[in-house]
Amino acid sequence: MTVAPDPTKSLRPGVRLQEMILANATDWALKLAQPILAAAVLIGLWELGVHLTGVSAVILPAPSAVAQTSYEFFSLMSQQASPTFWAAAWGILASAVLGIFLGTLVSYSKTIMDMIYPTIVFFQLIPKVALAPVFVLWFGKDIEATILFSVFIAFFPVLVATISGLNATNPTYERMGNSLMASRAQIFMRIKFPFALPFIFSGLRLGVTFGIIGVILGEFMSAERGLGYLIMFAAENFETALLLSSILLLLGVGIMLFAILLVVEAIVMAVYRVQ
Amino acid sequence: MTDATLGVRKALQPVRARLDDLGIDLGTVRSFAYPTLFAAGILLLWEFLVTYFEYPAVILPAPSLIWIALIERFDLIWFHTVPTMRDSIAGFFVATLLGVGFAAAITINKYVRDSVYPLLVTIQLVPKVAWTPLFIVWAGIGWESRMSIATFIAFFPILISMVAGLQSTDKSLVRLCTSLNASNWQTFWMVRLPASVPYFFSGCKIAITLAVIGVIVAEFISSSEGLGFLILLGASNFETDLILASITVLCLMGLAFYGLVHAADALTNRWMSR
Repeated sequence: MTVAPDPTKSLRPGVRLQEMILANATDWALKLAQPILAAAVLIGLWELGVHLTGVSAVILPAPSAVAQTSYEFFSLMSQQASPTFWAAAWGILASAVLGIFLGTLVSYSKTIMDMIYPTIVFFQLIPKVALAPVFVLWFGKDIEATILFSVFIAFFPVLVATISGLNATNPTYERMGNSLMASRAQIFMRIKFPFALPFIFSGLRLGVTFGIIGVILGEFMSAERGLGYLIMFAAENFETALLLSSILLLLGVGIMLFAILLVVEAIVMAVYRVQ
Repeated sequence: MTDATLGVRKALQPVRARLDDLGIDLGTVRSFAYPTLFAAGILLLWEFLVTYFEYPAVILPAPSLIWIALIERFDLIWFHTVPTMRDSIAGFFVATLLGVGFAAAITINKYVRDSVYPLLVTIQLVPKVAWTPLFIVWAGIGWESRMSIATFIAFFPILISMVAGLQSTDKSLVRLCTSLNASNWQTFWMVRLPASVPYFFSGCKIAITLAVIGVIVAEFISSSEGLGFLILLGASNFETDLILASITVLCLMGLAFYGLVHAADALTNRWMSR
């Protein structure tokens, strides 16, 4: 535990800042080093365990084998990763637009809200993935069908977050807007929407996870392209190393999409100056 | 306010008075009547459109046809509901035990928290359904693989909400324990654990829905029983009414599970506040 430097004792503010950055940096390094060390130990134990017990590579390939497979099949895997990435990206984008639009519509009127909100909650609770085969039946096996399914899964969290965000405005601000003769549209754009933004973005974070789940499931079902297809293919051929490499790459795709969302969030928040 | 709405209000006056006599709040009636009416309206519209335009039942059967399929083939559907139910519940309970155990270890031991917890959170980032084929390679196509997938998927929300719950304890209470010379274990058992109960149940509510999803996905990928299998079977035979009837039962099952967790939450709440 590092003791934070006492700000009153430092004469020059520059020195204090430097000290603080230094203290923070060591803190951060420690925070990062521990999980990395733990991961290294775990991977080492895994490698050792596989070699000592001689467990079959179908059940559990050694980390070195996974790394080798990732290297050898990298071009094949990235070929399959690209449709997954784009399907998820389009699905998440469409979910965002649709979720925010419908959320605004629903929270516009109390009556519509009373009618529809329980239905939305109901849809949140039921296992929507069960509809995957029906989507194949309805929309075929093209990438558009995969995107549609991903929207179907990902748009509910955005919708719910938008509705609860728009309802969470501090009523004092709304009243002030009213007393300043702001129109309904102005109150929405200047007060309600900026207040709802943090909620919407937390919904979108869920939406990214859900959107990827939707795409993977769609690819499991249609089995024509994408990392989901590759994972199924690897499992059917007992190529467990390829399966694990594909999952790793999927992790990469997920982190990439998540990072894009974080950048968008930072830009939008900066524009609206929401803290 | 227009004349029309005023007229409606006037017409509803006796109804309102009657409800008041019965001691029923109009808001409660609203909150039940509106969604019911909305759902009924959607179903009627669906029925009407499909029948009127003679839409092929293979693509979208009318609600009445789904109902008929549900009644006529209930034996078959129920036969496949039992394994799905069994595997989801089993997976959920194992996930609860593991989740609470890991969360306790993470809260009690600083090293576990700093090293293992970030790794678990990272694994969490991969869509967990993507691991399903691996579990089938590991555990075969029997109930073991389906239960372990349900466990795997349901484990993370319980772990994360439990860690949040155990750490959310009022700091002054923990300090009081320290000053009373309570051991780490005593603080955990007497202060942190009771404080984490609401978090535990909010994790459970997510976990029970996810457990069902895990079992269904596993049944899609490879199995010979369960509602997921029945849905796939229906899809390959173009029996859309059977698919939608199975999905209806699945939804009811999911809602019943959620209701049970909710009831457990309410009961615990009442018991603890006594």
